Amino acid sequence: MPLTTPWRSRALTAALLAAVLTTGTACGDDAPGPSAGGSIKIGLLASLSGTYQAVGTEIRDGFQLYLDTHDGKLGGRQVDLIVADEGNGAQTAVPAATKLLKQDRVSALTGIVGGGSVAGVTPVLNETKVPLVGSNGRPELKDVSRIWHTSYLSDEPGAAIAQHVRDNVKGSVYAIGPDYQGGWDELRGFTDAFSKIGGKLANADGKTTFTPFPATTNFLPYFARIKASGAAAVYTFYAGSAAVDFVKQYAQSEIKDIPLYAAGFLTEGGVLNAQGDAARDIYSVLNYSPDLDNAENRAFVAAWKAKHDGSPTTYALASYDAAAVLDRAIGAAGSDPTPEAINTAIGQLGQIASPRGTWQFSTTTHSPVQKWYLRQVRQDGRALSNTVVGDLATVGR
Amino acid sequence: MTAVAVGTNRIDPYLIPALDGVAYGLLVFVAASGLVLCFGVANILNLAHGLLYAIGGYTAAALLDGGWASLALALAVGVLAAAAAGVLLAGLLTPVATGSHLSQALLTFGVALAGGSLLVAGFGPDDPQVQVPATLEGSVMVAGHRYAAYRLVFIVVAAVLAAALYLVVRRTRAGMLVRAAVDDPEMVACLGVSPARIRAGVLAAAGALAGAAGVLGAPIIGPGTDTADTVLLLSLVVVVLGGLGSMAGTLLAALAIGEIQTLGVALLPAAAPFLLFAAMAAVLAARARGLAVRWRTA
Repeated sequence: MPLTTPWRSRALTAALLAAVLTTGTACGDDAPGPSAGGSIKIGLLASLSGTYQAVGTEIRDGFQLYLDTHDGKLGGRQVDLIVADEGNGAQTAVPAATKLLKQDRVSALTGIVGGGSVAGVTPVLNETKVPLVGSNGRPELKDVSRIWHTSYLSDEPGAAIAQHVRDNVKGSVYAIGPDYQGGWDELRGFTDAFSKIGGKLANADGKTTFTPFPATTNFLPYFARIKASGAAAVYTFYAGSAAVDFVKQYAQSEIKDIPLYAAGFLTEGGVLNAQGDAARDIYSVLNYSPDLDNAENRAFVAAWKAKHDGSPTTYALASYDAAAVLDRAIGAAGSDPTPEAINTAIGQLGQIASPRGTWQFSTTTHSPVQKWYLRQVRQDGRALSNTVVGDLATVGR
Repeated sequence: MTAVAVGTNRIDPYLIPALDGVAYGLLVFVAASGLVLCFGVANILNLAHGLLYAIGGYTAAALLDGGWASLALALAVGVLAAAAAGVLLAGLLTPVATGSHLSQALLTFGVALAGGSLLVAGFGPDDPQVQVPATLEGSVMVAGHRYAAYRLVFIVVAAVLAAALYLVVRRTRAGMLVRAAVDDPEMVACLGVSPARIRAGVLAAAGALAGAAGVLGAPIIGPGTDTADTVLLLSLVVVVLGGLGSMAGTLLAALAIGEIQTLGVALLPAAAPFLLFAAMAAVLAARARGLAVRWRTA
C-alpha cells in the first residue's frame, strides 16, 4: 500500500484549499440575557471576533460607557443589554440579529460594524418593525424609515476635506484606495467633490487606483506608480491592517515626502499604535478627535480613560451617541416605549449634544449632519495622537 | 528630476518593485518551505502552517524593542515556540498521520482556528507594532530610489537561510533521512527509523522555519488577525506553483510570487486582483507537477 498520495491529487488539494481560503471563514456566538419587569431590552450587534474585532470591541465599550455613567438606565428605564457577535459580515450577522429581534424581542437594535451586515439585517428589521440606531457601517439603502446612524455616510469624509486639499496642494493629487464598496464610496466622495471645484487627479487615466482588498499587503508597486505620476499629494482611505501596512511602507518609500491626506480611519485607534512613528504628520479628516474642546467631550474622554488604556475613537463615540439617542428617544416615547414609539421619537429629537459637537439627524438619510475636523498625527506626551488642527465643512444631506 | 536620462525612464519606475519582489519572494520562500517539507515529505497537510508564522510574528512584536539583542532574543524565542507548536501538532496528528488529507486538513484547520483565537486573546485584536533595530528603521538610496533598509538586509539574510536549508537537505544525515522518507517510507521504517520521529522532526523543522520567517518577516507581513490566512494562502500557492520536494522549485515559485505581487502589480495594476491566481491556474493547466521536477526523478 503506498503511503504517499500521488502528487497530482496533492496539487489539486492545495489549489482547492487556496480557493476556499480566499473566501474566508468566520464563526459567531451570542449570549442570551434575562429580562426584568420595568426594564427595556436593547440588542447590541458588533464584531467581537474576526477582522473587525477591534472596531466591534470599541462599539460595545462605547455603549457600555454611556450606561455605566447613567446608572445603567436609558430614558429612565433599567437597560437589559443583550450583546451578540456580528462576526465578519452578513453571513454571521443575520442569524445573530434574527435571534436578538425574534427570540429576545429587543425594543431597539444598535451597533453593527459592517455595511454589508446592515444591508443583510434590514429585512429582519422591517419584518419585526424594530428601529436600528447603527453606530458604524452604513450601506446604500432605499428605505431608511427604521434605520438611523450616529456615524456618517462613507462618502462624507472625502467630500469634507476636498476644499482644504484644493486650497493647500499646489499640483495634482493621486487617489488610491481599497477595492470594495467602502473604498469606492470613500474615494468617490473625495474625487467627486475635488473635481467639482477644479482639482486634478494625478492618476494616469484620471481615475482612482483601487487595490485588491484584503489581498494587498505590499503597496510598494503602487508607490512606484505614484512617484512616476508626479503627484503633489496623495489622498487615501484604508482601515485595519491594510492601514498599518500602507502607512509603514509609505514612510520608508521613495514617496515619503509627498504629503498624505486620508479619511481619518487610516490613523484611528489601534492602528495608530501599530504604525508608530511612520504615521507622524499624516493629515486626516474625521468627525471626532479626543482633544476637541467642549464640556461633553472632556467628560466623555475622562470617563473613557478611567476604564480603558488610551483615548476613545470615533467608533466608541458613535456608539456612545447611539446610547444617548436611545436615552432621549425612550424617555420621549412615553409610558409604553414600543419599538414603533421609539422610532417615531428618534425622528423628533432635533439637536443632539455630543462629544463631537452638536449634530442632528438628516431628515432624508437618517445619518448625522455634522462638522468634520482636520487632524494631524502629532506627538502628545509620550504617545502619538490625532490632533485637531482646524475645522472643515459641515456635511450631511 | 528632469536630469534623469530619458532612455532609463521606461525601466526606472519598475526597479524598486523588481527589487522588492525579491525580498517578498524570499520571505514567501522561508515561510512556505516548511509547508512544502511537511506536505512533500511527511505527506501531512498542515493547515495550521500560517499559525506557526503568526506565532513568530507576535513573538517579534512582543519582544522587539529597537535593539539588536532583542532581535536575537525574538528570533530564538520565535523559532523555539513555533518549533514546539510543530511538535505539538505532530503529536495531535498521530491518529490521522496515515489517514486521508481531509481528516488532516480538518484537524489542523481546527487547530489553526483555535490557535488564532488564542493569539488574539493573548495579544489583543489590534495589529501590534513591530520595532526593528533603529539602524534598520530608515531607508537607503538604491539606484536613485528610496528603499526600506530592513528589506534590503532581509534579502541577504533570507538568501543565507535558503542556502543553509539547501545544504541541510542535500548534505546532512537528517536531510538524507528526510529524502529517503519521500522515496521509500517502508524501507526507512525497516531500517529502524520511526516514521513518527521523522514526522515530529519534520513538523518541528517546519515550525522553526515558519517561526524564523514570522520573526524576520514581521516588518513585511506583520502579525495581525489575518496573518495566518495570508501566509497559508501564499504557501499553498507556492506548493501549487513549485511542486513538492524540490527546494529549487519552491524557491522559483516563491520568487515568481514575489515578482507577480510587486512587479506584476506595478506593470498591470488593473489585473492585480487575479494575477496570482491566474498564474496558478496557468501552471496547473500547463504542467500539473509544478514549475520544477521532483528530486526523485531529477
